Amino acid sequence: MKFILRTFVIILPIALISFFYLYINDNDYYPGADYRNYDLPQFELTELYSNADISNEDLEGTYLINVWASWCITCRVEHGFLAKLSNQNIPITGINYKDEREDAIKWINKFGDPYKLIIHDYKGSLALDMGVTGAPETFLISNGEVLVHYRGEVNNMIWQDVFIPVITKYELFK
Amino acid sequence: MLIEIAQFLTILSTGLFFLNFLFAFFFDSSDRHMASLVSKVYTHSSLLLATSFFIYVWLAVSDNFSVLYIAQHSNSNLPTFYKITSIWSAHEGSMFLWILFLVLWGALFNFVTQNSQDLKIKSMGVISIIIVGFLLFLLLTSNPFETILPIAPANGADINPVLQDPALAIHPPFLYMGYIGFVIAFAHAIAFMVEGNPSIKWESLVRTWSIAAWVFLTIGITLGSWWAYYELGWGGYWFWDPVENVALMPWLAATAFIHSLSVSSKSSSLRIWTILLSIIVFSLSLFGAFIVRSGIIDSVHSFANDPERGLYLLTFIGILIIGSMTLFSSRLSMLSSGSVIKTFSKESFISINNIFFGVLVFSTMLGILYPLIYESIYEQKISVGAPFYNAIFVPMAVLACIFLFFSIGAKWQRKLVISSFVNSISLSVFISGFLVLLAYKLLSIHGIWELISIFAGSIIIVRYLFVIWDYLSKKKYSNPFSVIAHIGLGILMISISLNNELSSERALNIKINQSDTYQGYQIKLTDLKLVNQPNHDSIQAIFLVTDPIGNNFYLKPEKRKYFARGQITTETDIHVTLLKDIYITIGDQLKDGSWIVNIQFNYFIRWIWFSAIMMGFAGVMLIVSLNRTR
Repeated sequence: MKFILRTFVIILPIALISFFYLYINDNDYYPGADYRNYDLPQFELTELYSNADISNEDLEGTYLINVWASWCITCRVEHGFLAKLSNQNIPITGINYKDEREDAIKWINKFGDPYKLIIHDYKGSLALDMGVTGAPETFLISNGEVLVHYRGEVNNMIWQDVFIPVITKYELFK
Repeated sequence: MLIEIAQFLTILSTGLFFLNFLFAFFFDSSDRHMASLVSKVYTHSSLLLATSFFIYVWLAVSDNFSVLYIAQHSNSNLPTFYKITSIWSAHEGSMFLWILFLVLWGALFNFVTQNSQDLKIKSMGVISIIIVGFLLFLLLTSNPFETILPIAPANGADINPVLQDPALAIHPPFLYMGYIGFVIAFAHAIAFMVEGNPSIKWESLVRTWSIAAWVFLTIGITLGSWWAYYELGWGGYWFWDPVENVALMPWLAATAFIHSLSVSSKSSSLRIWTILLSIIVFSLSLFGAFIVRSGIIDSVHSFANDPERGLYLLTFIGILIIGSMTLFSSRLSMLSSGSVIKTFSKESFISINNIFFGVLVFSTMLGILYPLIYESIYEQKISVGAPFYNAIFVPMAVLACIFLFFSIGAKWQRKLVISSFVNSISLSVFISGFLVLLAYKLLSIHGIWELISIFAGSIIIVRYLFVIWDYLSKKKYSNPFSVIAHIGLGILMISISLNNELSSERALNIKINQSDTYQGYQIKLTDLKLVNQPNHDSIQAIFLVTDPIGNNFYLKPEKRKYFARGQITTETDIHVTLLKDIYITIGDQLKDGSWIVNIQFNYFIRWIWFSAIMMGFAGVMLIVSLNRTR
């Protein structure tokens, strides 16, 4: 009886903790990451600076889409890392999300512009179609297909763990 | 500058707590000077940490947005009260609060006890090393003092609007006080096993502390349930959300624990159970922190996540749990009392109900783990919901009630003589049977488990009424705390069943100045108002409700849009009566101009919270009486 109790109270917690340990170390662990592939939704919006019409045809090749807003503090934190990616010649398209045009432009002027192009999504319609829940969120897109959707701040760790494996797998940005 | 000072104070106190652990464990703790040193160092390091926290509160109140966390979770338009509560609205700050409470429990214990009290110094050492573990977690993985430099943002991102609520402001602090309060019992259990002297009555040293923690946990869970009901618009009292479950598990284990404590503080017969439960309760509290803060489970409660945090917490908790369980199993022979529990004694009933509580904890754990295991095998997400939990909890609770019913009047270490209670037992069964029949006929309750639960609840209540009668007429002593808490349990069983069976809801489409009826109530949409508030705009719908007797009252639900995050929330309005709540929310406007109006009749929901408050109240009374007799 004592032997059973003795083994039980030690084995059970060890089993539980090892399970969680393995679970956390799994790559799929990042709850903000979504790897389902689907086509980028159709949209017709305007460009932030020029107010010119913009739609799916204006986007091609392999690029990131980053959803941001001037009211989003985390975007401010993420901004430095986006600048670094942009310097490594990774094209980033911005979606300015539920934001006033003047505020957005002021923000970009203050903190710098890592984006090739900024789509002004004032009503959040494109973001809604893309399943955006807030800002910041980042998508990896290749030839019109969404490969990765990440909800939350992208930093070096997230980039290495969530994006790089997919980029290596499909041999993108070459 | 203040930010750096606060951070420095935290780091300094981490070092001092570690020193304290070394003093308590590696020097002779029976030495009077050493004991006084440990006690003093603890007091000073807790003062440092508390100062650091108060500076942090000041930073939040004074809108210091160069602190990243404050910039992300507060806003200069917020009332001061919510600037303070924004500190525990997300991970880093709430972890800081959690640690503050941990430190304060230890400080209070240190303050009110003599240094010569058995096990005190070793327990302070255990508490200190746990504090160090959490402080390192805070500083290394979730630093609340991180700054945005050189330019601080002009304004903050605002607290999540659903958290701008008085119930939420106090719900987490109560829960944390509850979770972490069991550290006193845990530390004593460890110190007791390390010391290895079975003649020390550690159980009576921690009884008050454990009951206090249990009261906090009970009230904290109740507040959370109430908040989800009216603020989240969930319209019920319990949802088997994973994070509700991680609060329920320590509560169940703690309930079993405080019952076992009352046994083993009198005789040592349930000592193994009591030690094991004290470890389990504290482990489950920490496990809850891990589940919520590692983000492995999607829930309304989950914090922004980072695998590093999960890994750190898991390692820390793993060392604590496996370490204490190893210690436990190596000391088994010292803990076993050798005394045999008599059948039908009070101890025997408590042991049986311990097993029921154990099964409930285990099943809840399974409900949390199963989706994770399933996901890692089949790569598909599933969720375990109410049907699973109901299927286990209802029969278990009924069985536990029946054992409780027969245990009433049982004596410590003596066989219960059922024959002396035959009258009140059979009368209780008879009266409860009659009540069930009434519920069946008059309220048309036909669910078999609901009827059984009503029966189980009412046999307890009626049986205790006989106990109260005996006390009033024959001055026959009965334990008032147990009477109040268990009548609370009976009310809980009955009100949950009635709520389940009688409550109903309906979505109506109503245009302005038109009305609709539901269950004899006439609901008229009389007006729509736009209300401007400092941090949000809202549409307020005004309904004139006429009940079947002809009484009128207004209900004013709202839809709000918060400026800072653009988030839209619905505010319910509730008309409270003795038996039921009339609960109304508004949805979207349809193309024909009508509004979707959701109306719910929630029966006996206040009674559910009332019963929990009764249990908490019994706990408070017991604490008061334990300290008076001392």
